[in-house]
Amino acid sequence: MARLAFTNRIRTLRFLAGEMTQAELGEAIGVTRQTIAAIEAGKYSPTLEAAFRIAQVFGKPLDHVFQWSGAEDEASGDPAAPAGEAGQP
Amino acid sequence: MGFREKIAWVSLGAMIPAYGVYFGTILAAGDEAQGAVTPESLWMLWLFAGVTAAQAGAISLMGVVLAIRAGRDSRRAADERERAITRRGSAVAYHVLLAGTILVGVVMPFEASGWRLINAALFVLVLGEFTRHAVVLFSYRRGWHG
Repeated sequence: MARLAFTNRIRTLRFLAGEMTQAELGEAIGVTRQTIAAIEAGKYSPTLEAAFRIAQVFGKPLDHVFQWSGAEDEASGDPAAPAGEAGQP
Repeated sequence: MGFREKIAWVSLGAMIPAYGVYFGTILAAGDEAQGAVTPESLWMLWLFAGVTAAQAGAISLMGVVLAIRAGRDSRRAADERERAITRRGSAVAYHVLLAGTILVGVVMPFEASGWRLINAALFVLVLGEFTRHAVVLFSYRRGWHG
């Protein structure tokens, strides 16, 4: 699988939000606990809507929750593939 | 592990012994399972129906058990990741089915007929389903970015 150019601070933000659980965050945005775990582990890139919902839950800007590193995509060899989804390498 | 992933494991787990029995029996039958369709050879059809029914029964039973244990999780709609993984499984399985159908329906009739052709077609169907479940489980375990 291609190395992603995104990272996220979801785990940290959950802790700072009163030690919110993955299940609580998942219920707040309409996904399962397993999907939240997959997002945090970089195994799934949420849709734009889900990414915005997560940011809204924490009351933070989207780029505070997800960060684009602009690193090279290993699979294609092309620099900085267009942003469309967020996840953690 | 989520409810839908557990169902996928149950489905794949039920397929392997069920169709392993059928195709193992077919291979052991040798020439009888390669020839023309006769009333005496219809046992293969009944065997396939039997293992399919047994597989469906096992999946249904385990599905009920898992649904009871999962509670509310089993009744909610699939979320975006689950839908994306399902689509990926179907997309990959489609190509397996397409290739198999071309092989069985277009290429094989030139040199095969009867039970050999029928069993090849059944194998393609089973392979397509196996591929779908395998891709779904791989996506759940290793990750899939949609």
